[in-house]
Amino acid sequence: MASSRLEKRSTVREEGEKSEEFGVNDGSDTESTASSYSYSDYSNDLEPEWLDDVQKNGELFYLELSEGEEEAVLAQVAASQSAATNHVRFSEKEAEIITDEGKKRKDSNAKSEPKLKKLAKILGRKRRPSQRRGVDGKDSRTSQQPASILKNQTGQRAGLVVQQLHLKDVCVYLNPKKLGSTSPPPPEKGGLLEALLGVVHRGGDSKGQMGERLVIHGLVPHSPASKCAQILIGDALVAVDDVDVTSENIERVLSCIPGPTQVRLTLETAGAGGGEVDSAMFRPRALPQVSQLVRLLWGEDTMELQMSVAHIPHIVMYLSLKLDSESSQEEQEILYQYPLSEAAAQLKGVRGIFLTLCDMLENVTGGQIVSSSLLLRKQLVHVGYWKEGANLLVIGLPADRVPLLHLQTVVEGVVRTLRVMYGSLDSAFCEAENSPRLDHFFCLFFQQLIQPSRLSDGSGPSSADVSGTLFLDGLPAVRWLTLPPDIKVEVDTVLSDFESSDFGEMSEDSYDMRRLYVTLGSCLFYKGYLIANHLPKEDLLDVCLYCQHYCLLALATEQRVGQLVVWREVFPQRRTQSSPLTLHLGYCEPHARYFLVIVGLRHFMQCVLLEAGGCASPAVGSPGPDCIYVDQVKATLLQLESLDSAIEERLCTPPTPCLSCADWFLPSATRDRLDGIGSSPILNRLTAAIKPPSPSLIGRTLFGEAGSGVGPVGLKGRRPSPQRSLSDSGSEGRGETAMTFTSGHSPHTTPDSARRIPPGGSRRDSLGSGGSDGSGSSGGLFKIPRLKQPNPFYLGSLRKSLTDRESEEMQNILKLTAGVENTLFHYVLMETVQGIFIAPTHREVSQLSGSIHPQLIRNFHHCCLSIRHAFQQSLPPRERRGAERPQASRGLGPVKEHGILFQCKPENWTDQKKPPPTMTYWVIGRMVLEPVPQEFYVCFHDSVAEVPVEMAFRLSFGLAV
Amino acid sequence: MLQAETVQLLCLTAASGVPLFSRGSSKQLPFSVIGSLNGVHMFGAGQGALLSSCETERGSRVVWRVFQDSLMLIAVSGSGNNAVSKLHLHRLLENTWNCMVLVLGQDELANMRNVERLKRELRSCYRLIDRLLERRGEDQGFMGDLTHCADCLLPSHPAILQQALDSFTQAANSEFGCLLIQGRVALATEKWWRLAPQEVVLLSILVNLLSGVTSCDYPVFLPQGSPTVAHRLLCFQLLPSAFVCVLCGPSPSLHHVESELVGCFWSPVVETLRGCLEQGERSPLPPSVSLRWDVQALLLINRETRRSVGACPRARSHPSSEAQPLSSPGRRWELLRHFYTFAVTRYFTSEEASTSPDSSTSATAHESLHEEFSGGFTHQPVQCYLVTDECKCYGLQTPQHQLYLLTDLSVPTFALRSVATHTLNAVTATTGF
Repeated sequence: MASSRLEKRSTVREEGEKSEEFGVNDGSDTESTASSYSYSDYSNDLEPEWLDDVQKNGELFYLELSEGEEEAVLAQVAASQSAATNHVRFSEKEAEIITDEGKKRKDSNAKSEPKLKKLAKILGRKRRPSQRRGVDGKDSRTSQQPASILKNQTGQRAGLVVQQLHLKDVCVYLNPKKLGSTSPPPPEKGGLLEALLGVVHRGGDSKGQMGERLVIHGLVPHSPASKCAQILIGDALVAVDDVDVTSENIERVLSCIPGPTQVRLTLETAGAGGGEVDSAMFRPRALPQVSQLVRLLWGEDTMELQMSVAHIPHIVMYLSLKLDSESSQEEQEILYQYPLSEAAAQLKGVRGIFLTLCDMLENVTGGQIVSSSLLLRKQLVHVGYWKEGANLLVIGLPADRVPLLHLQTVVEGVVRTLRVMYGSLDSAFCEAENSPRLDHFFCLFFQQLIQPSRLSDGSGPSSADVSGTLFLDGLPAVRWLTLPPDIKVEVDTVLSDFESSDFGEMSEDSYDMRRLYVTLGSCLFYKGYLIANHLPKEDLLDVCLYCQHYCLLALATEQRVGQLVVWREVFPQRRTQSSPLTLHLGYCEPHARYFLVIVGLRHFMQCVLLEAGGCASPAVGSPGPDCIYVDQVKATLLQLESLDSAIEERLCTPPTPCLSCADWFLPSATRDRLDGIGSSPILNRLTAAIKPPSPSLIGRTLFGEAGSGVGPVGLKGRRPSPQRSLSDSGSEGRGETAMTFTSGHSPHTTPDSARRIPPGGSRRDSLGSGGSDGSGSSGGLFKIPRLKQPNPFYLGSLRKSLTDRESEEMQNILKLTAGVENTLFHYVLMETVQGIFIAPTHREVSQLSGSIHPQLIRNFHHCCLSIRHAFQQSLPPRERRGAERPQASRGLGPVKEHGILFQCKPENWTDQKKPPPTMTYWVIGRMVLEPVPQEFYVCFHDSVAEVPVEMAFRLSFGLAV
Repeated sequence: MLQAETVQLLCLTAASGVPLFSRGSSKQLPFSVIGSLNGVHMFGAGQGALLSSCETERGSRVVWRVFQDSLMLIAVSGSGNNAVSKLHLHRLLENTWNCMVLVLGQDELANMRNVERLKRELRSCYRLIDRLLERRGEDQGFMGDLTHCADCLLPSHPAILQQALDSFTQAANSEFGCLLIQGRVALATEKWWRLAPQEVVLLSILVNLLSGVTSCDYPVFLPQGSPTVAHRLLCFQLLPSAFVCVLCGPSPSLHHVESELVGCFWSPVVETLRGCLEQGERSPLPPSVSLRWDVQALLLINRETRRSVGACPRARSHPSSEAQPLSSPGRRWELLRHFYTFAVTRYFTSEEASTSPDSSTSATAHESLHEEFSGGFTHQPVQCYLVTDECKCYGLQTPQHQLYLLTDLSVPTFALRSVATHTLNAVTATTGF
């Protein structure tokens, strides 16, 4: 059975290449896909680089940074003399290699010379066939360790030093991907040596000469060799990763580098100066430190992070409630525990409390304990409980990080994530081999909760916003980015193509074999925003919980991911726990196993849920990642990369419902306004928007209409309540605003001018999408003035389907607040059915820079925790621990809407004479059950008596899924 | 198993864990449970982890607290729809301790010599503690045990009565005098208001317990003011449910005050008193205050004087066809209590720390046990509202006042704020509260 599948596999692989070529022809956007496909070709020639990281149980977590960042890391690693690992290893043991590897290699790589093959293994150690490996695979690596020979070489080196020929080792980062798919550069052009490494070697005409020394005659600018600054002209390249090289074999050696990796070059430095060229002098240049998060994901450097939180009491324990009184072993009831800090030890010491309370309260009150609070070292610690079977999960967290209101959500999140990953808590905690993985899991968990700021680079917009992370992560929803429909359709088409599993040989017609996996669905993230989802909601949430936990969404937000491949078996909540409803319908989920594939490339990340069993062939053992599927996902992502710019453009557009910055409403004596203007990105954009087309025409319509649309304040000065200052007529604004923009120095008007910019900016940005309805993008700019009012907000996704009249109505709708001035600060809309929420993008938030606005957003999120808790309590009981909550709500009864009015005063108010101005704003949450369950949180200025219902509906109107 | 919606109060000696009493639900918890409840706390305290509270999924809670290192009080609330809030339980423990001090004095409790004797003595506190536990006052709108602000009644013409009270108190050789009508403080001397709010609340409850008697002389310790020296509380019934009481030293005798002073000072104003009683039966607010017809209930707290006044109209003053039928006053008071708890624990500040700066160190350490959710806000919450299926609630906090308002569902949400500010102005302007 296994062998037959093997053979099929190998043929499949070869045909996989062909199928991709077909894909090119099928693709709608021929040019871009063709280029991107060629990108991926290398992975077909050689085994994928992540194969080495596959663990015994088939799991894979492979993270590779994008080129620039990875070089930085490698340089750092080289400096610290530690092993250059660029990926996570969860298990200490080397992954095993299956027995029939040799046979396989013969099939695929029969042409290559044995010596080179060995070299390739040394270089990359990344050769592994792609099918499910047997569980009982044995390591056949003994034959592949020519280390002893290489060791001798290092011995020789010492001798060479005596002969005044200094040898030095230089680590460089090479990436064959950069070369593209073209055939290896011809030797006349310097070959791979020049193209890949950046070393120019002119070997003269001595073609027949065997083994000429590789003296470096020149360095290609910006190449790896020149960037590392340790390879000098005149040096001779002696060895690559301890393999001796000469002009004869260098090309072959280099061609064996399968993918981006670090190689160690051994160079011979001659001459008198050589003595000074000590490796100690060549410290790598100061490089940007790679973020703690990535290092944590790689499994490095966890100790230091753990030490920094050791004084904060936090713990996770899995305790057995059934005490075996016969065996008097110490701590036998602790099945798992993390971390081992002193504060945690104190919590561990009182585990008797947790066990007793859990046991007793059930007897006394008939309900499971969910939380308790205790004071430890003068710090309040909340402890959350989760009982499963005869075991108890206990999580202790400091109260100042996780409010008691939110503790239950956090615990439920952890439990669900663990269940998705391992099936049940018991199977997660009770198997000893899981414990290093769980350590890593909980290390991430606590780091995210306790010191989230250290994980991010600090460049994130809300790096210190703990409540924000808590709130948004706690929502049973994924952050959604609305896309213009044409892009959305394209994305969906590409995903559907992928999900149909129709790639070439995968169709069942080709073979008499059942396919290995059925694609249940996939979802696509761009920079951490969900842009397409073809998964049922519960599955989406499962996948998203996993991604959130491993910070994958945050990771993709910045340009970091060179390549991310995750493969693991998962146990989706919906499929493992059959709901009573489906039983009634006579349908039950097939008895199957599920696998999650996550592939990330740059900003894109696609998560795919595969099913084995059911109508695909059942999975045996613990199958590892399947190259075909992973490559297909990668190909899909590459195909989607052409949409990168379009999505990026969407992200750059001004916020769909226009947002205001809190600071604009609060004149501050301490802040230098002119300074703020200079740095305002929106203003810059505006000036850019004004200049190019004839200023007289555009400027007039722009300002005139902006005046009537948004409400100019002109030079009248600002008062704390903006509404009062809005009496100016549009005509007045026309003259004044023009002046404002040209002069731009009046401290009173500038905040308004900045605020007024969204219309201008959005008009410009809507050109792209406006142009897509047929009539050339450049014309769009001049089409707009025919509307009576300017389109103050981004309408791209909606306007096309509407007539002009409707679109005119729409303009009024998309400014969410009533009144002339926009007063919306922030919002979150959660759509419960689809499991998504929309909120202003990070960029939108960061554009509204100011001193008070970040505070406001933090406050908003903190408040949302409370609002949502009020909603949760009034909801019908969820199926929690099998226990039925009483149907009737308690306390206040079902809460439908909840609002809080906040007052803020500027900090450092220096003016003693006048009382500090205050700004008041609402944070309102509303839960709608009909027609679609939604939760809606807004934050807006106090100056309008707003009916938030309308806001809710207006916002959801823009949410086209 | 503990009955639903009940609270069980346990008192044990902190050092040895001997149960002193258990009040509350009719069925007592088994001894083993009491033992383990005490045991977990003691065990934790020994390990440096001070257990404060815990909660189950059905909303039942346990709260622990040790007072003066001598007595341990544990409150256990049963599950149910109408679960007791954590704030309420914390206040209950505090009130219970204060009750015990009020009756027995702090010395007796802190320096325990004979456990059996203390057990017997504690029986004299049962009535007071039971009154706290049975929550009967909630139907009548007494919130003092929760808010720690004295429940007040605002008479229409306070000047005459105030004069009578002042001179009566003076004649009784005291500076502490108070007039209680319908169990609420209608008037008090200036010194009486300087007592700690908890004391005022407890003394009001104590006087209410004595409703059957015409006069009494009761020794009381003041939990904050004089926990070790007893005073005499003299209490006289002027009219049914109208009491006057004074705190005084060894003189004058009860007989002297009753026979000579009461009639002398109070008979001239008995008609005014009667008018007060009639008003008090309708509402603690004077009739001159006109509330909007759609206000179902309100609670107004003066943050500076720590007084509160509540109102819950019996019937629609302005019957309207579209108005929903009023739910029972008990339910409305209950909702108001819930809303107060909700708002105070999350957004507003309760004035605990400012009023009792001289409270013992154990109390301040206890304060840190409360998680201050409002501490997480960067800006100050000043108002909040809730819309539920039954009603709309609006809370408003100014530097001087806190107003909690229950209105009909028919009031538009955006109008709530103006209704609330209007109500606040209406009450404060006419009564100067």
